[in-house]
Amino acid sequence: MALIQCRALTRRYTRGDNIITPLDGLDLDVESGDFLALMGPSGSGKTTLLNLIAGIDRPSAGSLHIGGVDVGTLSRGKLADWRSESVGYIFQLYNLVPVLTAYENVELPLLLHRLSRAQRHEKVATALALVGIADRSEHYPRQLSGGQEQRVAIARAIVTDPGILVADEPTGDLDAVAAASIMDLLKQLNGELGKTIIMVTHDPRSAGHAQRTLHLEKGRLIEATAAAVH
Amino acid sequence: MLGTKYLPLIFKQVTRQPARTLLTLLGVATAMFLFITVQALEQGVTDATVATGKETTLVVYRQNRFCPFASRLPEHYTSRVNRIEGVASVVPIKIVVTNCGAALDVVTFRGVPRENYAVVAKKFTFLSGSMDQWERRSDAALIGEDLASRRRLKAGDVLTAAGVSAYVAGVIRSPEPQDQNVAYVDLKFLQQTAVRGGDGIVTQFNVKVHDPAHLERVAAAIDQEFRHDPEPTDTRPEKAFVARAAHDLVQIVGFTRYLGWAALAVVLALVSNAIVLSVQDRVREHAVLQTLGFRGGLIARLIVAEGVLLGVTGGAIGSLAAYGLVYFGNFSLSSEGTSVAVRGDATLLLLGLTLSAAVGVVAGLIPALQASRRAIAASFRAV
Repeated sequence: MALIQCRALTRRYTRGDNIITPLDGLDLDVESGDFLALMGPSGSGKTTLLNLIAGIDRPSAGSLHIGGVDVGTLSRGKLADWRSESVGYIFQLYNLVPVLTAYENVELPLLLHRLSRAQRHEKVATALALVGIADRSEHYPRQLSGGQEQRVAIARAIVTDPGILVADEPTGDLDAVAAASIMDLLKQLNGELGKTIIMVTHDPRSAGHAQRTLHLEKGRLIEATAAAVH
Repeated sequence: MLGTKYLPLIFKQVTRQPARTLLTLLGVATAMFLFITVQALEQGVTDATVATGKETTLVVYRQNRFCPFASRLPEHYTSRVNRIEGVASVVPIKIVVTNCGAALDVVTFRGVPRENYAVVAKKFTFLSGSMDQWERRSDAALIGEDLASRRRLKAGDVLTAAGVSAYVAGVIRSPEPQDQNVAYVDLKFLQQTAVRGGDGIVTQFNVKVHDPAHLERVAAAIDQEFRHDPEPTDTRPEKAFVARAAHDLVQIVGFTRYLGWAALAVVLALVSNAIVLSVQDRVREHAVLQTLGFRGGLIARLIVAEGVLLGVTGGAIGSLAAYGLVYFGNFSLSSEGTSVAVRGDATLLLLGLTLSAAVGVVAGLIPALQASRRAIAASFRAV
C-alpha cells in the first residue's frame, strides 16, 4: 500500500451562494520516499490537496489514507497529534513567529512532546545544523534574509523527524540563488534522510528537482511527468 | 494547566507590542488602585460600625445632640448609671475635636478621669513612651498610632489642636479602631483647658455591661433613668453610636462601593481589549501553531494565560500602590468626634491579586475560544 492514498478525494467550499470545488474526485498514490511536485494554474486545487495531505483541511468526500491512517475521520485533537508526529509544513512566506528567535521557532513543535530541555536543545541544534543556519540561532526573523528564514522554517518542519514534508511554493518568495539553495536542501532531505516530499510550485526549475511532477487543473489530475533525478 | 516550558512564549507574546502592553498595565493598575482603596474604606466602615454580637460597651450621649460640642451631660450622672442593674463600669468622657463635620484630618481629645485609666488602657500596647510618663504630668496625652503617624508625633512632643496643648507621654496601639485616632488626656485637664469646657461637664459616658446579651436592656434602663432630667440621654451600643454619628460618611463610603466595581469593570474592558487586538493580529500565527500540532485547547490556554499575566501584573502594581498608601498613610475619616480608619491588610492585597487573575481569565476566555475553534485552512485564506 502506498504511503499516501487518495481515492475520489473531493473538497468543496460554500462561498455565498456558490459552491466551489477546488478538488474533484482525485485519485493519487504517493510512495514512501517520493519527491512529488504539484503544478497547475491558480485555483487548480494544488494547495487544497497539500492542505488535505498535511491534515489542516478535511475532505468533503472520498478517502485519504496516510501511513494506514484514515486522516479524514480523525477528531480535531487526534488530527493535531497526528500532524505533530507525521507531517512538517513548509510555507511560502516562512510563517516564523516574529517575537521568537530562530532557535525558539524551531523548538516550538518540540514543546508538544515529552522531552527534557536538554533533549529539545539537542534536537534543535541538530536541525539548525542540518539546514546550515546554526550560527543564526539567536537571531530574530527580522534579522534574517528570506533564504535564511526559509531554512529556519525547514528546520522547524523537520525537527520532530516527520516522515512527510509538504511545501507550499517554498521558493516563491526567494531570488534565484536562494531558491536553488533551498531546492538543494529539500533534495538532500529527500535523498539522504528519506523524507517523502510533496511540493506545490509554479516554477518549472523547482519542479525539475522532484522525482515526478503532477499537473492539476480544475481539481483534477491532467498528466504526470516523470523527471530525471537531478 | 500549562507547563513552565510555555512561559517564555506567553511572556514574549504579551510584550510584543510594548506600547500597547504598557498602556494596558497602566490602566489596569490605576483601576485596581481605585478598587483596593475603596475596599479599604469599606473595611474601615465595617470594622467601626458592624456589631459582632460580643459588644459590651454602651455610649450615653445627650439626647438630640449630634456633635461633641453640643452634648453636655453632668458628670454626676456617673453614680446613677453605676447603680443600674447589669452595668459593670462607667467612664465619663469629655470630647474635644478640631472639626465636628466630616474631614480627613480631625484631632480628637478624649478626657478620661485618671482613676479610670486602668480600664481604658487595658487593651493598649505602648509603641513608645509609657504609662509612668503619663501619670507624672497633668497635661500628658496618650495618642493612637494613626494620629501620631499622621501628625508625625512621638513621645516627648507637644500636640496642639483645638486650642489644647498636650505633652505626648506615649504612642499606643489599640484593637479598637476609635482609639487609633485619639489623644487620651486627663478629664480635669481637658475640662479646664478646652474652649466650651467646664468643671463637672462631660460629653458622654462609656458604659461596660456584664453580659452582651443585656446590652439593649441596659441602654433602655439608662435612658429611662434620665428621661425627666433637664439633660435626657440617648444610649446606644458603641458601634451603633459610631454608625449614627458617621452616618453621612457611611453613606458616602457605601456609594463608593459602586465605584470599586466600576473600576473592576474597567480592568476587564482593558484586558479584554488588549487580548482581542492581540488575537486579531495573530490569526495567521495561531493557524501556524495549529499546523505544527498545537491543539485548539492549548492555544486557548496560552491566550488565557496572556490575559492572566496582564491582569496580575497590572493588578499587583495597583494593589501594592493602594496598599502602601493605605498602610503608610494612616488615613481616617472623622465625623462628630468618631473616626473611621481606612484599613488595609494582607487579605486586601490577596483579594486584589486574586480578582486581577480572575478578570484576566474572563477577559481571555472569549477570544481564546474563538481562536481555538478557527479552521486552519480558513485562517490562512482569511489573511
